[in-house]
Amino acid sequence: MRLRDLARAGGPVEFVARIVTAERREVTRKSDGSRRALLSGLLSDGTASVRFTWWDPPREEIERGTVLRVAGAEIGEFRGRPEITISWRTRVAPASPAELPRLASSDLPSKTVRELTPPDEGFRVEVRVVRIGPRTVTVGAERRLVFDGLVADRSGAIALSAWSDFGLQEGESVRVTGGYVRGFRGRPQLVLDERTTVERIAGEDLPAPAEWLRSTPRTIAAVEDEGGGAVVAVEGLVVGLLPPSGIVYRCPTCHRSLTNGICRVHGPVDGQADLRARIVLDDGTGSLTVNANRADTERLWGVTLDQCRSRLRELGDPGVLEQQLFESLLGRRLRVRGSGTKDDFGVTITPDSIEPVDIDLTAAAQELLGRFPEVRP
Amino acid sequence: MTRREPAWRVTARELESSLEEEKGVGDRAASYLISPFGARMNRVLVAGTLSPAEPIGREEAQTFWRARLSDPTGAVAVTAGSFQPRAMAQLRTGTQSRSAIVVGKVHLYRDRSGVGYVSVRAEGVRTVSEVDERSALADIVRQTLDRLDLLERVEKGPPLDDAAARADGVPLAWVRAARESLRRYPQVDRAAFRRELRGAARRVGGDLAPEPSPTGPPPTVTVVRAPPPRPAPPPPTAEEREEEAVFLDLMDEVAEVSADGYADLKELLARVGARGLVAERAEATLNRLEEEGVVEEPIVGKLRRA
Repeated sequence: MRLRDLARAGGPVEFVARIVTAERREVTRKSDGSRRALLSGLLSDGTASVRFTWWDPPREEIERGTVLRVAGAEIGEFRGRPEITISWRTRVAPASPAELPRLASSDLPSKTVRELTPPDEGFRVEVRVVRIGPRTVTVGAERRLVFDGLVADRSGAIALSAWSDFGLQEGESVRVTGGYVRGFRGRPQLVLDERTTVERIAGEDLPAPAEWLRSTPRTIAAVEDEGGGAVVAVEGLVVGLLPPSGIVYRCPTCHRSLTNGICRVHGPVDGQADLRARIVLDDGTGSLTVNANRADTERLWGVTLDQCRSRLRELGDPGVLEQQLFESLLGRRLRVRGSGTKDDFGVTITPDSIEPVDIDLTAAAQELLGRFPEVRP
Repeated sequence: MTRREPAWRVTARELESSLEEEKGVGDRAASYLISPFGARMNRVLVAGTLSPAEPIGREEAQTFWRARLSDPTGAVAVTAGSFQPRAMAQLRTGTQSRSAIVVGKVHLYRDRSGVGYVSVRAEGVRTVSEVDERSALADIVRQTLDRLDLLERVEKGPPLDDAAARADGVPLAWVRAARESLRRYPQVDRAAFRRELRGAARRVGGDLAPEPSPTGPPPTVTVVRAPPPRPAPPPPTAEEREEEAVFLDLMDEVAEVSADGYADLKELLARVGARGLVAERAEATLNRLEEEGVVEEPIVGKLRRA
């Protein structure tokens, strides 16, 4: 049977599922103080994830990703969600991934992007690929190619991470079946792994990528209200600069910025100079932080990192440089696009683009004068 | 969660007309100045012509600087002290009037007759081109008109709930400000203020000439000011008033950086002393402020605004 249907099952069940996470520990019996081993974690068959407890598991290591056939497991319930208990009465045997339930897209409920929240799985969703690109990541000792991007439907946009190459192209419409949603840097992310299926569809009613990438700016109050988003466009004036801005020194290994030459992961290191600006952008309805990288900071300021370093040799005080950066940015009108995340200090945008904006004053004056009821010739 | 306060886009006239305060309750809570025109502001952004700054106080090291920012609707004082070193440096640089954008915190000082004086304690001052000044003024006029429209809607229209406000792109903070504004200033002539804004709108287009007024003198906004709560004591001299202002400003500065939100009396007197106010005069100023109910001392040696 499928894990999705577990809640309705009464007695012992049989299913095939993959171990998603597993942790081995021991509990002490109250009656005689003897120790008893157990393995607990999450099992998934693509239709749902269910917590399991496996009493007296085999001694050998059971790796994550192992597919098992389980017969005669007990179903319990904890906080309204089903749980699986594997005991001596249960038969457990290795199985092949081919035995996992086949996920026909018609079997799974359809969702919109807006409805996707971690840790959803067992759904299908139809989206337009707004942006996609390869990236190499290191997982343990292994280097893997992943494809990162952004997909959208009429309800919203969500970041995407594909761990297999589905040959996704910008602009095409796809039906994604059997993916799952995880929280990544405070935002939901749609993850496609080797069990996910991707079908090309016509997608006439899906938005064109341009609609998402060139959407008109919204008020910062609305962006704050929604807690950021995968695609955010705002316009406002620079009203402040948060530390650390200006010249910063980064750890050569992990690129974290250093405090007094010390990386909080790698200890004292020989820092690499970098330039950044943590800009406070304000449109009168709200404010947010824009983390500008070196290229953006150099362009907006008109001063390069090398020039900064020679100024620093003359001045000796990075604080003076920060003051100069602040004076150059304060009051500038910027249009910023990127992804926004929200924490206790408000919304922070990781920008895709930062553009200075000039407004047409003649048109603005005409529009404003038109709003006075007693217009005279 | 400490949300950063947005910089409300306001005209000098709106600041001049704001007399109602909402004091924050609790530790480090923000205070707000409520305007009659739908702003509930802690931080503001103003644009206009900034006069050269002049120092207040005698001691060079402890000085406080003040300038005036004028826009087509009025003028407002802009101050910066040693607690705003960046802004103070920027305020001091100009030797003649210049176009500028100022971001800062609003501050209301009320004298003993109950008349309020609003100033902006600058966090950032930027000298800008005349075009950039007009572009900032465009935002100010647009958002002020938006707030006036919202006031009409909240006052006369059907109840505006959060969902409706969101759907129309109206910030929820503006709806709250509009309600507070209507509650605190039930009798304000918003139409007169709107007429005054027209001059600012013309200025956005580069028009420097004063607004033609076929119907007599230009309109002014009348705001019903709270009457003084008790018969006025003998009026203070200009010098005493200046001392009160310095005292209060320093008290706010000390309180702002203290852990408990109170201004420590000893520290305050030391600072006031450093500004050239002798001990007896400082005590007299404090007594006067306490009598007027401007300052209170809930814990011995700890001061705060009443």
